[in-house]
Amino acid sequence: MDTTLPDAFAPAPLSSSVGYGLNDTLAGAAGGETTASRIRVDEPPKLDLEPYIDNYTGRTRFHRLYLIGTTSTVLAVDALKQAVAEAKSGKDIALYEKAVRALAEVAPDEEGASLDSAWVQEIQKGVRSQTDRLEHELRGYKNNLIKESIRMGNEDLGNHYYETGDLIAASKAYTRMREHCTTPSHVSSMLFKLIGVSIERGDWLTAQSYVHRLRNAQSKPEDLAQNQPKMSVALGLAQMSQGSYLEAANSFLSVSASLGDTYQDVISPNDVAVYGGLCALASMDRTELQLRVLDNTSFRPFLELEPHIRRAITFFCNSKFRPCIDILEAYRADYLLDIHLQPHVSAIYTQIRVKSIHQYLVPFSKATLDSMAATFAPNEVGQRIGLESPFLQELIRLVQDDVLDVRIDLEHGLLVRNQHDLRAEMQTEALEQVKAFNEELHWRMMAAAVVNAGLQVPAPPPAERGWRPDSNDPRFPPPGSG
Amino acid sequence: MSIVTDLVAASAALRDPVSLSDENYDRQLRDHTAYIRQLISKRDLGSIARDQELLNHFDPSDDSITYLLLLRLQIHTLQETSGGVLPTELLPFGRLWSQSAHYLEVFDRVQVRYIGHEWVQLIESMVLAAQATSKPLLAARLIKDALLRLDPSCAVLTSTHLLLAQLCLAARAYTCALPVLNKHICHIPALPSRASSNSLSIRCAEHESSQSFINETTGLASKLSYRDYLRYFLYGGMIYMALKEWRKASHFLGIVISMPTMGSVSMIMVEAYKKWILVGLLDKGKLCSPPSITAPQVIKTFQSLAKPYISFAQAFERGDMKRLEAEVDAARDIWHLDNNTGLVWQVVNAYSTHSLIKAKKVFAALTVAELQSHTSPSPMDVNGAVKANLASLVVSNAIEAKLAQPQLYSKDTMLRFADVSSLPEASRETKVQAQFEGERQLLEALFGGVEENSNGLGLSEEFIDTIVKGQQAWPSATVMNPSLGRDAGLEMDEDIMGDLS
Repeated sequence: MDTTLPDAFAPAPLSSSVGYGLNDTLAGAAGGETTASRIRVDEPPKLDLEPYIDNYTGRTRFHRLYLIGTTSTVLAVDALKQAVAEAKSGKDIALYEKAVRALAEVAPDEEGASLDSAWVQEIQKGVRSQTDRLEHELRGYKNNLIKESIRMGNEDLGNHYYETGDLIAASKAYTRMREHCTTPSHVSSMLFKLIGVSIERGDWLTAQSYVHRLRNAQSKPEDLAQNQPKMSVALGLAQMSQGSYLEAANSFLSVSASLGDTYQDVISPNDVAVYGGLCALASMDRTELQLRVLDNTSFRPFLELEPHIRRAITFFCNSKFRPCIDILEAYRADYLLDIHLQPHVSAIYTQIRVKSIHQYLVPFSKATLDSMAATFAPNEVGQRIGLESPFLQELIRLVQDDVLDVRIDLEHGLLVRNQHDLRAEMQTEALEQVKAFNEELHWRMMAAAVVNAGLQVPAPPPAERGWRPDSNDPRFPPPGSG
Repeated sequence: MSIVTDLVAASAALRDPVSLSDENYDRQLRDHTAYIRQLISKRDLGSIARDQELLNHFDPSDDSITYLLLLRLQIHTLQETSGGVLPTELLPFGRLWSQSAHYLEVFDRVQVRYIGHEWVQLIESMVLAAQATSKPLLAARLIKDALLRLDPSCAVLTSTHLLLAQLCLAARAYTCALPVLNKHICHIPALPSRASSNSLSIRCAEHESSQSFINETTGLASKLSYRDYLRYFLYGGMIYMALKEWRKASHFLGIVISMPTMGSVSMIMVEAYKKWILVGLLDKGKLCSPPSITAPQVIKTFQSLAKPYISFAQAFERGDMKRLEAEVDAARDIWHLDNNTGLVWQVVNAYSTHSLIKAKKVFAALTVAELQSHTSPSPMDVNGAVKANLASLVVSNAIEAKLAQPQLYSKDTMLRFADVSSLPEASRETKVQAQFEGERQLLEALFGGVEENSNGLGLSEEFIDTIVKGQQAWPSATVMNPSLGRDAGLEMDEDIMGDLS
């Protein structure tokens, strides 16, 4: 049994835990350090830092504060100061050092901007002794072979690693609880711990697979009902982070209002409304939005927390695209400060915009570029829309990508819907398919005939490998050069 | 002159095949061939072999066997005496040339099945003569007609096919090869060991597949090497390229590229892949991936050996005229070394057409200046040249569009693309119908070939071995596999064998 111990129970060296902390949290927040450092928000967000951060508990508070501090120029100092305080109230030295470094960059004169090495040493010592103690206890439990104690010992150890920021060791410790779980509720609590760690690490595939295991775990209906909102949230986060916005929207929309404040270490109900609303806007059409978002009674409590999302969706459903886009733009800064949403804001916004343009054109067989610009590019209204206009370039890209089935008439400044001759198109397509089929058939037949006749290109003699040049290959002048 | 009368008498007996059954006629032809072979090999032939009048006693179409054997004899004697130099009589428009040429035009397609070796040798000697006098076209025409006369379906690949392709390329007489190239090759003469069943068949009978008489046993097909096979299709592809039939060219090149290999890749395949990329650009305007049956490691080899071509194609796809030109310049030596300069320039020239087609997808109407700035963001051309180019594309119907000259000189010329196909409905439909009909016939021919190949494979030793093994392992294998179930006789045999063992 001791064979598994050295790796898992060795106190995590500081340097490696710094590495984990950096990579893991940033990967979770923005898919890599470079992305995180590139995004800068200069305009003041609508959110107030205090009430916002009070929505959360646990380590996510620090990550959110740190992200706001490093992204927003307006809130940088406040957020980072809080982040330092937050880190100091915990036991994760890596996070503390990170926050101090960031604060020192922004405001070197603030009081928290220098490293409190006494605190660091104290915590380090404390952590080490705590690790030793927990390990020792766990070994004792193992000797006594009491399942429940071993489980709890592992859980304590996992919690300890989690608090100190060694996420990999934490998830290993949690995984080891599995064989000692005796009741379904043990299993689900273990899985929730694992999901939490995976979310913080940004390991979305693992998080997703834990959610599926949780779903398949046989638990009592009332437990299931209690777990469902959290599961949906975790699944939705994972799907959103992988860019599957429609699936994410479905997951978030299925979160029941009973979520309340129960999952504060990951998400607040406001976030559910925002994520669900934006994902739905980006992926669903108007009737679906109306039916599944606006008329969805279980989602309504969430929407009421974020009325502007509700307004945006309503505007979209009523084909008032300008106000919808305006609302979203007004909140862009806020969303860029959200730890999970930040990497997807631009993608989601683009999708919504493209969908709006598409929806706008649905009723028309011809639309003037000017009227479209009034909705989608108000700063270009009044000027002649030529090739150099960014809005027209955007349209051109959309047409080239087969999103819009229109053509642009620059003479009259129109978008003209393509008239389709279905019969001719079908014929052309069928003809093309027959030709492709015949070609493929002949290729395959010839390959079979070659094998049957034993004509394959022979294997190279052992001396030379790779390809063999045909020295006696007579050449002809290139045809078509004349 | 007793030999001549003997020969005439013997040949005359064969002139009326209608009254004979296939078996009898077959026996007669075999006997006759053997008899004449014996006759002309035995005697002291000095006089006959040089007798200029000899061949006039025979009719090349009715006495194909006798005529060809005597012709061969005369050519042979002449070549022996001339000592390596081609005798003038054999050169184009010499006596023997003319007689050979006449023979190839009118020979009897059934009788030559018994003297395949001599037939092939005759063609080869004519090719030599034509090449020696740098008149490949003369031989090419004859061979094309002879091939079509021998086997109208032209579905079996022979060395003669390769000769034809080679000659046509050398003569730059590309259309000459088309009647043969346009027939799809369905068979490759199998190894003699596998073709054993064919030797028993009656050569003179009507066969569904020309494979039954064009094989090594009859001599009409000699053993091909993998290089011959590759070269035929590469040359065929090059002929189509010369005629700008890109689709067919890429089909032929696809055959070369997807050649099964046992580990190594032939240089011919690499050549073909390079051309495949260029032809794909010309035909479809994009970088085409090799046929799906190409082995992955072969594709890898191609890609590592054809890097300049691939980056050239990517520049084309991306619509970046500047990079395209840079790629052309950077690899100028490579194009030259590979003899692909001509094709590369065609691709560059085709770029404007392709960008126009792309523009047609986006725009309904725009001015020439706008078009220009859309397709190539950097101003590079004099306006007039673009307009002229555009006009020629519109006139040649490569693009369905109209140019409108504004009344005011201050305004630019307006290009308006046509909405849908502007052809009248009926003519388009008939055209499509004709194309479908063509594809249907091709499909039928191909399925015929597939059927025969599948039969051939089904009778091969390996296949039967596999079935036997399979039956031992799973007794119900034949029931599960419907394609095996049809061979009821075979199944029975194997069962008997199973009982015995």
